[in-house]
Amino acid sequence: MRKTKALSGAAQDAYFRRAFKTHSNMVAAEREQLLRSLKREIAQLRLRLEPLPREAVTPKPAAAVDGPEETSAPQAAASSTSFDPFSLNVVVIVRTLGRAAALAALAAIDREEDLRLLAREQRLSVGPDVVSLAQLRAAIVSAAERRVANRMAAAS
Amino acid sequence: MTRFLAVSNRKGGVGKSTISVMLAHAAAAWGRQRVLLMDLDTQCNASLMLLGGEGWEKASRSGQTIADYFYDRFDNVAGDESVYIVNNVGDVAHPRTAPGRVSLLPGSQQLEDVQGELYLKQSKKDLHADAVALLVRSRMKRLMRHFGMDYDLVILDCPPGLSFAAHAALDMADQIVVPFRPDFVSQFALDRVALLIERVENAQQLASIPFAERRYACLPNCLTGAGHERLLIEQIALDHPLMTTRLPVLDSIARAFDWDERKKTMEQKYAEALAHLRKLHTEVFAGTQRRSKSA
Repeated sequence: MRKTKALSGAAQDAYFRRAFKTHSNMVAAEREQLLRSLKREIAQLRLRLEPLPREAVTPKPAAAVDGPEETSAPQAAASSTSFDPFSLNVVVIVRTLGRAAALAALAAIDREEDLRLLAREQRLSVGPDVVSLAQLRAAIVSAAERRVANRMAAAS
Repeated sequence: MTRFLAVSNRKGGVGKSTISVMLAHAAAAWGRQRVLLMDLDTQCNASLMLLGGEGWEKASRSGQTIADYFYDRFDNVAGDESVYIVNNVGDVAHPRTAPGRVSLLPGSQQLEDVQGELYLKQSKKDLHADAVALLVRSRMKRLMRHFGMDYDLVILDCPPGLSFAAHAALDMADQIVVPFRPDFVSQFALDRVALLIERVENAQQLASIPFAERRYACLPNCLTGAGHERLLIEQIALDHPLMTTRLPVLDSIARAFDWDERKKTMEQKYAEALAHLRKLHTEVFAGTQRRSKSA
């Protein structure tokens, strides 16, 4: 039995557009920018005909590194058994796709403790006064931008 | 034609000497090359790994060090440089390798003093400071190149920091391996050594040089498998050519350099690190071949 179907072209665009509309905290301009990026970079996606149950979805590490096996972060276990704070590399997304794409990527994380765990593990400084999820995501991306600027300044 | 391969990073403790020695063994044993390792680091770790403490002390007493070579031959480049070399060093005896394939120009704790003295000597010629520095570097490059005729591969184990000798080595190397530990400050160290190698002034100028045209490649070393290491390697890969080889923290690498006079095979010496060394050797050597073809 077929478990997935391939989407490309207009169908793929429509899927992304529908998916992003569910994130009300993303402003329209950011959403459009991200959609343009995805259109350029993704040729085809495969959609599950029957989505996995929510608790079964475990983020996969962004890229494999040839070397020793990944060790699990102790904080990750304490916070959430399924969340991998290294599942997306915020600095790399900011560098390659920009702020909007980083915010969109973080939009998939909807628990404050997971966002704070990601910030801590990726050494992206976020103040304790940040309260809402949207503010937290913005603070993480800003910290990644500061990290990039800091490094560029040192290499000049 | 002799290839000059530098192993360099301005940051200390990243594994420069260990990797220099591993590559020397691999090139001799597997590449069947005549290899000279030039120890430019005043810590002399590569020399200690290949000669042991007593052997290095004996070489120092008999004037067989790089400091002696630079000092004696600075004004007289032409001459028999082989008297400064210690042949058949290390404890690897590969079945297919004749003994003596790895030779060493031992390091010296006096190298920094000697460089200062040579600089002052040249300063008496009423030259501008920059011109004097250039002269010292150029002469050191000539002295290093002098070994080109006798070896297939010269490995330059560079010191951390920037001495005249380190500058000269980076200037003349055909290929540069830059080992790094994936930690926060390593990014800055890589950026800086890359500017120096490619002779540019800032990150924007560096970015305009395609990876394929750069003389260096970065080698992730001492990996523990922590998640933040992977993130950092991904970040570094945006700005610098990265080797596909990854060297994990392994007891067998650390133990391989406990001084032991008994000769052993590569398999006995490197044990579980052997597969990593094979990959490193293949990648470095393939890179060298590609570069020489394009040249």
